[in-house]
Amino acid sequence: MKKIFISDDDPDILEILSLMLKMAGYETYASTNANDIFNCPAGLPDLILLDIWMSGIDGRDICKQLKENERTKNIPVVFLSANSRINEITEEYQARDFIAKPFEMDHLLKKISTILSGTTV
Amino acid sequence: MKEMQIKTTYGELITQIRELKLLLNEAQETIDAIRRGEVDAFIVKNNNAHEVYTLKSADQTYRIFIEKMMEGAVTISREGIILYCNTSFANMLQLPLTKVLGQPFEHFIPTNYKKSISRLIEMAWTEERKAEIIFPGKNKKPVPVLLSLNTMEIDGGPAMSIIVTDLSFQKETQEELRQKNIQLEQAQLITKKLNDELEQTVRERTEELYKSREHFKFLADNIPAIVWTALQDGKMDYFNKRWFDFTGKDYVQVNNEFSLFIHPDEINDFTVLWDKAVTTGSAFEMVHRLKDGHGEYRWHFSQALPFRNDDNVIVAWFGISTDIDEQKRALEKKDEFISIASHELKTPVTSIKGYVQLLRYNFQQEGNSNAADLLTKADVQINKLTNLISDLLDVKKIENGQLRYHEEKFDFNDLVREIIEETERITKHPLECELAATCTIAGDRNKIGQVITNFIDNAAKYSPREAVIKIKTLHKKDRIQLFVQDFGLGIPKDQQAKIFERFFRVNGEKENTYAGLGLGLYISAEIIKRHKGSIGVDSVQGNGSTFNFELPIV
Repeated sequence: MKKIFISDDDPDILEILSLMLKMAGYETYASTNANDIFNCPAGLPDLILLDIWMSGIDGRDICKQLKENERTKNIPVVFLSANSRINEITEEYQARDFIAKPFEMDHLLKKISTILSGTTV
Repeated sequence: MKEMQIKTTYGELITQIRELKLLLNEAQETIDAIRRGEVDAFIVKNNNAHEVYTLKSADQTYRIFIEKMMEGAVTISREGIILYCNTSFANMLQLPLTKVLGQPFEHFIPTNYKKSISRLIEMAWTEERKAEIIFPGKNKKPVPVLLSLNTMEIDGGPAMSIIVTDLSFQKETQEELRQKNIQLEQAQLITKKLNDELEQTVRERTEELYKSREHFKFLADNIPAIVWTALQDGKMDYFNKRWFDFTGKDYVQVNNEFSLFIHPDEINDFTVLWDKAVTTGSAFEMVHRLKDGHGEYRWHFSQALPFRNDDNVIVAWFGISTDIDEQKRALEKKDEFISIASHELKTPVTSIKGYVQLLRYNFQQEGNSNAADLLTKADVQINKLTNLISDLLDVKKIENGQLRYHEEKFDFNDLVREIIEETERITKHPLECELAATCTIAGDRNKIGQVITNFIDNAAKYSPREAVIKIKTLHKKDRIQLFVQDFGLGIPKDQQAKIFERFFRVNGEKENTYAGLGLGLYISAEIIKRHKGSIGVDSVQGNGSTFNFELPIV
């Protein structure tokens, strides 16, 4: 089962994402504190869904740290944000992809499935 | 000849002069002797031979000479009787010689001169005299004449010779000269007057110029902006006081060096734009930063216009740089606010949408299609709200020139199909699709998709429930065209041109029944324009509309 780490400072969105991903058969770890990714009890995830503007934490910094770390640099990061510059940020911070908020469930699941199947291959 | 003269010595010259003096004295003595009647004849040595001249022959010579001369010549006796006169004198009087000779001279003097002339003649017997009088000439035309009176001895008796010189020509010349002098004086007067006027004008103009310059200086120094001028070649040659206040430099330190104060990030653009304006003579406009006296940069809006003379040649440039730092920062704050607001609005919408989708999924799983349909409708409305928030953000970005495009190459048909699939899930309108062979487009996939969605949404919004919507693509040379046709209300001809304007909504009885801010087509047009494409509409009121765009194919 693929593991997905989700971080968003909005607990509702965190709940929604977890439900959707679990429904689609993924194992999820959700936290409003993005730094938890670096000490995830279940080990490193297969994909990280990351909000950009979070209270006290900037998703861009987390992404940068992930990319600088040998252990985590190959984990695909997907930004999830209502930020209108999300596509530029994705490119700038070498994230794998982005999902603009508000999002379509089908779109989200399709994108994640594509990325994860890609990495498996 | 010259050489000969040069060769003549001073001594030789003295000798020659002495010889010539002797000859002159000799000639003078001869003339005196002739005058005194002491000589009866003399011999003149000609080139070939000697010739004898008697005084009789001399008389004859003089007589001819006297007869031929222009002046009147008269000889009168001591009693005033005319002993002799020449033809010129008779002609002056318009009388034959016979009527003049033997007559008293006084007889021919005009009445008003008679007394004075008698007195003159009397005096002339003792001393040579001259007088000017007016003679009645031909046709009674007055003739000014000069009388020269001289005494002489004839045959032992005293006589007086009177030479009458016609002064008409001289007088006319004098008169002409006098007239010319008057004209000259008048001309001089006019010239002086003109000069005075000119001087006055120059004084006035100088004063006006001074006032105008002072006025300009006053205006320029007190205007709340940096004012500058440049020569026709673009070299700046004047700055107002504010410039020196702003830069904190004195005149010598900053003379003509505007560019030194421009922010390094904008200096290249400034140079290019300014050179272009100067070369083409077009207006200059640029937003850039300028360094103040504290080394801090402030945003300025610089504008310059060329000043042309009557021949349409640029003689100078007038420029103004307005400090827009506060506005710029306020705008940035506003933009930041809109970004945050948009983000904050989207966050709860994301939650609502998420829960709705989860619920719908659950109901679908349970087979409760009624509840699932209701949630689909709720989802459609949530999408509309999302689009409105996005539109407001996009319009702000278009206005600020900040709408960013994420360029990529993508398959056009894939995009169209994707949007049709998404739309089919939420619309009751059947979508008929006729796509030409696919092609690759370079541009922002999401934004071009936004345009297609906007076309289809509009078609659905303005056509009756369940009326078909046709989507078609066509190749036109190296461009791809997309058409979205509806069979709805259509747009009146006079409003078709305005349909792509911001906040424009078609006027009509039912306009309020159609939701929207009137931003969708404006944003679509901007997006297509930025992709070097064109957008258009073809519509017949009552029969529906066909919206289209075309984009270059890679």
